[in-house]
Amino acid sequence: MKQEISALMDGELFEDEADSLLGRIKRDSASHKDWEVYHLIGDALRQPEHIPRDLSAKVHERMWDEPTVLAPRGYAVRQKKLSIALSAAASLAAIGVVVWMSAQIVPEHAPQLAMQQSTLRPASVKMRAKANEYLMAHQEFSPSTGMNSGMYYIRTVAYRPDEK
Amino acid sequence: MTDRDVDQQLVERVQRGDKHAFDLLVSKYQRKLGRLISRFIRDPAEAEDVTQDAFIKAYRALPGFRGESAFYTWLYRIGINTAKNHLLANKRRAPTSTPFDAEEAESFEDAGLLHEVGTPENELMSKQVVSVVQQSLQQLPEDLRNALTLREIEGLSYEEIASVMNCPVGTVRSRIFRAREAIAENLRPLLETNKNNRW
Repeated sequence: MKQEISALMDGELFEDEADSLLGRIKRDSASHKDWEVYHLIGDALRQPEHIPRDLSAKVHERMWDEPTVLAPRGYAVRQKKLSIALSAAASLAAIGVVVWMSAQIVPEHAPQLAMQQSTLRPASVKMRAKANEYLMAHQEFSPSTGMNSGMYYIRTVAYRPDEK
Repeated sequence: MTDRDVDQQLVERVQRGDKHAFDLLVSKYQRKLGRLISRFIRDPAEAEDVTQDAFIKAYRALPGFRGESAFYTWLYRIGINTAKNHLLANKRRAPTSTPFDAEEAESFEDAGLLHEVGTPENELMSKQVVSVVQQSLQQLPEDLRNALTLREIEGLSYEEIASVMNCPVGTVRSRIFRAREAIAENLRPLLETNKNNRW
C-alpha cells in the first residue's frame, strides 16, 4: 500500500486505482501519515532553505468544526453525464444519417430503374437468325444492365412436356 | 492520471462531504501555501494563522470550485487574497515587490525571502528535517537517489525517468518508493519526538 501511495502522489495510478486507494487512506491513519511524510520529504528536497511548521492538525481541528460542505451536484459529475449524453446523441445522429442515406440511395435506384425500363421500347432492329445464337452465348458478358452479376447464377433451362 | 487529476479526485470527494480528503490536500499544499503567505506577512505566527484561515476559506468555497483551473492555482488565489485582506484589516500594505498571478502561483517555489523568518525553535526543527532528508538521500544507492531526484526536483514523469535511466516504468516506481521509504524511516523518529511541534 505504501508503494501505491508513493505512486498516487506522483499522479501515476489509474483513476479507479486512485479512487480505491483514497478510500483506504481515509480509513487508515498510518497511510495518512505516510502521505504526509512523503510530501514533507518532497518539500524538503525542493525547498531546503525553510520548512514551515506543520499546520495540518490545526486546520483539521478548525475544519471539523465547520459544517460539512456539499456541492449541489458536482460539476465534474454533471460534466461526465453531459459528455455521456452528448456521446449518445452523436451516436444516434450518426445512425440516423446512415439510415437516411441508405433510405435515399437504395429505394430511389429501384424506381429510377423501373421508370427507365418503362420508357424503354423494344429495339426494332432486324437481326439475322445466326446473330441470336451469338447473343445468347454471350449475353452474360453484356454490360447493358445492372443485373449482370446475377446472370452468373441464372441457368437457362428448357422443359419439354413429353419428357418425364 | 496526472497530479492535477489526483487533486480533482480529492476535491470531488470533499464536495461529496468527505472531510478526510481535505486533510490530504492540506498535507500536500500547506508548506507551499505557507511560504507564499510568508512573502506577504513576515511575522511567522501571523503567517501561520493566515495560512489556516486561507485553508478554511478554501474549504467553505469548495462547493463552488468547478475545476476550470488547477486546484492549487485556485487555492493560491485564496491565499493571496486572505493575506492582503489581513494586511488591510491591520492597516498595512502588501509588499509591492510581490505581484502574483495564476501562472506564477503554479510555479511558485521561491524561498529567497524566507531565511530566518521562523521562530528559533521552528528554524532549528526546519534545519533538522532538511538535514535528515539530505543525509538520507546521500546514503541511498545511486539508482534510488537518481530516481527520486529526477522525480522530486526535476519533476519528470515515471515514463521520462524510465527513458533517462533506461529501465522499465515499474522499476522506476519501485525505486522512487524505496527511496522515499528509506528517507521516511530516518525522519520518523525526529517527527515522533516533536509531536507537540508537528512537521
